[in-house]
Amino acid sequence: MSNLIFESVTKVFGEGSSKYVALENINFKAESGQLILVVGPSGSGKTTFLTIAGGLQTPTEGDVKINDSTIKSLSEKQQTKLRLEKIGFVLQSYNLVPFLTVEEQFKLVDKLKKQNLTEQKMHELLSDLGLLELLKKYPNQLSGGQKQRVAIARALYTDPDYILADEPTAALDTDRSMKVIELLRDLAHKRNKIIIVVTHDLRLKNTADKVYQIIDGKMQMIN
Amino acid sequence: MFLAIKEMLHEKLRYSLIVALIFLVSYLLIILTGLATGLANLNKAAINEWDASSIVLNSDSEGRLQQSFLSQDEVASLPNNGTRISQYSTLVKSENGLKENTQLVGLDSKSFIFKKLKITSGSKNIRNNAGVVSDKFKSDGFKIGDHLLVANSSLRIKITGFTPRATLSALPVVYISPDTIQPLNKGVTNAVVFKNKLENSKIPKGTNQLSISSFIKKLPGYSAQQLTFDFMIAFLYIIILIVISIFLYILTVQKLPNLGVLKAQGVSTQYLILSTLFQSFIISVIGVIIAIILGEITAITLPSEVPIVIDKSNIIVTGIGIIIMSLLGALIPIRQIAKVDPYKIIGG
Repeated sequence: MSNLIFESVTKVFGEGSSKYVALENINFKAESGQLILVVGPSGSGKTTFLTIAGGLQTPTEGDVKINDSTIKSLSEKQQTKLRLEKIGFVLQSYNLVPFLTVEEQFKLVDKLKKQNLTEQKMHELLSDLGLLELLKKYPNQLSGGQKQRVAIARALYTDPDYILADEPTAALDTDRSMKVIELLRDLAHKRNKIIIVVTHDLRLKNTADKVYQIIDGKMQMIN
Repeated sequence: MFLAIKEMLHEKLRYSLIVALIFLVSYLLIILTGLATGLANLNKAAINEWDASSIVLNSDSEGRLQQSFLSQDEVASLPNNGTRISQYSTLVKSENGLKENTQLVGLDSKSFIFKKLKITSGSKNIRNNAGVVSDKFKSDGFKIGDHLLVANSSLRIKITGFTPRATLSALPVVYISPDTIQPLNKGVTNAVVFKNKLENSKIPKGTNQLSISSFIKKLPGYSAQQLTFDFMIAFLYIIILIVISIFLYILTVQKLPNLGVLKAQGVSTQYLILSTLFQSFIISVIGVIIAIILGEITAITLPSEVPIVIDKSNIIVTGIGIIIMSLLGALIPIRQIAKVDPYKIIGG
């Protein structure tokens, strides 16, 4: 049973007059089998929350625990390994390597993880997301929505325990958005993943197991 | 190295431009090194063929053969296993009008230097005004049996054989007997060359022993010429270093967002650094290989008057040098890769 816990997490940027509190005393817990939505306006601290959850930043105060071990106690190498093996990121932009075809984006993961799942798993994922015909295309040959769906497929490809998604439906129409969220919810429920989606897309509110809102660095559960 | 190879194949134009630059600078480096070696050989080839260790000259000669005159007493007090050298620079002509500036070198046919001389054609005979001459004469049209008429003298030297790599101070050498050179230099011995280094106690007063390498450095113009080449070659290495650093730095800065995302997704900094080093290695190897091939073709096609020698050791040293410079050039971009913070790329 995986879990992700924020214990009194505060993140402050800058000092003195330029001091800015991005997150303030956040207590949060996610467990396997949950799709969690974090909503809030631009600049509210949503992405900061997500990057701290993924170990890309350390909190100024408090602790973040993944499976009961504190992220900041891990070495940089261990954190890199954690991200490669346990966490799948879906980011707003620059998500795909521009000089790799869709197929090669998956092969890169294979090379890094020293595995070879390409054919079967990749085809399964791409088929679920309606992307099979794009295998030989480069990112600059894809639409915004196609890029986002490939990025989601790639994040899922490593079969991570956690998926951290930053605006995964930003470039998608309502139909595609709902399909992506349904896919993420199925993954959370059927394969016991923790999926945290940061978004300002309020159309998705009713699809999640829990919904949190961040405003001015403060987080509260709203659903 | 999957990422490195895929990037280079996708960004063919960018990486081809870097390869082209490395090729051009490497080509220039190979040609310059070849010229430096060729000119050095022109100056010292004959001395290298002597296979000697030391030379005794007059103390006031500053190590210059032409300026050194040893008295009969000085020569007599030296061990008798040395080769007495008499030297005379002059112009020689053939009976059919061919001309050649040359170094006449008088030595005994029983000396170790003469015994060592190789012959490419003809025979090794210097008796009765005969001479063994540099094969430069052969390439300039002289033949065995031709007579060389020495300028401002009635001396006629009959060519009996050709010897390879016989140039001294950029002039072809004519080996003749002491008796033949005697009317030209009045029987002066300029130096005595030894196979082994002599003990200082055996060096008579008024003379000076030099190692063969020191003697070569004191050949007229030799050190100045070689230093000039060395400076040009060193600057070219620095240029390669700067060019590769700049190109890889710009390429790295352009792809920092991708590198940040890759790091966020669990790609280690070490993998990204190795990827960049691999790219640097590959582009320099390709550039160097093309430069070596073209350098060899250039050396073959250039007229024989151009003293260019592209030998294996030069190619190996130059090739390794360029590759090391390329890897050093990758250090600045590597620093960028190590410093890239995925959070700053993703934004907050």
